[in-house]
Amino acid sequence: MNEVLRIENLSKSFGRKNVLQDFSMSIEKGKVYGLLGKNGEGKTTLIRVIMGVIPPDRGELFYKSQKIKFNDASYKKEIGYIPEESIFLSWMTIKELLNFNASFFPTWNAKKADEYLARFSLEKKTRIKNLSRGMKLKLGLMVALASEPEFLILDDPTSGLDVPTRQDFLKGVIEEILEGGTTILFSSHLVHELEGIIDHLSILHKGRLILDQDFEEVKSSVKRVRLTFDKNIPEKIELEGIITEHKDGAYEELVVYPWNEEKRERLQALRPVSMEVESLTLEEIFVSFVS
Amino acid sequence: MIKVETKSFIPIYEQIKKELKSKISQGILKANEPLPSIRELATQLLINPNTVARAYRELEQEGFIYTRKGKGCYVSDNSSSLVKEEGTNVLNQAFDRAIEEAKKLKLEPEEIRRLFEQRLEQVAEGEEKGRKE
Repeated sequence: MNEVLRIENLSKSFGRKNVLQDFSMSIEKGKVYGLLGKNGEGKTTLIRVIMGVIPPDRGELFYKSQKIKFNDASYKKEIGYIPEESIFLSWMTIKELLNFNASFFPTWNAKKADEYLARFSLEKKTRIKNLSRGMKLKLGLMVALASEPEFLILDDPTSGLDVPTRQDFLKGVIEEILEGGTTILFSSHLVHELEGIIDHLSILHKGRLILDQDFEEVKSSVKRVRLTFDKNIPEKIELEGIITEHKDGAYEELVVYPWNEEKRERLQALRPVSMEVESLTLEEIFVSFVS
Repeated sequence: MIKVETKSFIPIYEQIKKELKSKISQGILKANEPLPSIRELATQLLINPNTVARAYRELEQEGFIYTRKGKGCYVSDNSSSLVKEEGTNVLNQAFDRAIEEAKKLKLEPEEIRRLFEQRLEQVAEGEEKGRKE
């Protein structure tokens, strides 16, 4: 397997709050990973540990099989990072920012930077502090993409932005995928935004990954089952992998993962008068797993 | 113009396939006409290019489209007959379900035929009436 990043038994707490607990994850080259989790479940903490902004309490990280030491910036030359809030020095002009990044990233592509500046109508002489949040985000995308990253990390960058700005941003990300080979870790709470883009779904809940699988596989193996019973209503349905369960008299609704034929037969054996099996949207999958 | 609904539970590549097939059956996409490029469709729909590529790959395997090296994808010569064939299969499945229901009612084949003819006439009359109004 062609692994870009491996995280082993990572733990991080703030005061008495354990944000990440024995967290492990592997990120494969060339795939788009969607990272979902409720607010405060540790998505940003995870990304900040990956980016070396904060040190882990325990655990190890490997970038392309090389162990990452805290304070080692070398691996970051291959990573494009777009946090939720701009981390650029606000007194700089865009031109100064470009020069600064050109000296840090050996793979810096000045032509690409200029193309994106023109596309986003950004002027080189403008100071960063005078940019709106949407413009700062576009600037962040431009810097991340012009560094020709092998790995792009997006930490909920589009939250609170208007639809056209989000679409411009997503278009830039898609063009990066089209160039080929870029691995992307995309954290977002705009679930439907991820739905069309991701290859792999990772759901972070209570400090751990509760789902970490190919997205097409997830879509075909998480099912909602609607059962209606006649007279023999079962006391309790014994089935492995019931994620959520709602009961209303003779009607019962289950979300089951992973769904398979054996489970279908076992539910049929309970003799419901009707049984319907449906697929879920990403939003429904997410809500089922974290509620 | 192809539309997909990202919030749907139907996989996006399936939606793309369905949209393109319906364009072929309506004659909007004709034999040997080019399909939008993967880049065009991915950036327009804001979806992963791999998803578009998968839809195209499957359509090619099923014979609806073909690839010209370095030029992109085109509609096959026999695509519209393939779409029709597929539609006929769906129709036959619907017939199967209807026949099943009829069997439950213990209807003879002659009776089923008569009911079907009757229904056809009713639908035709209804359409005629709709046009006049």
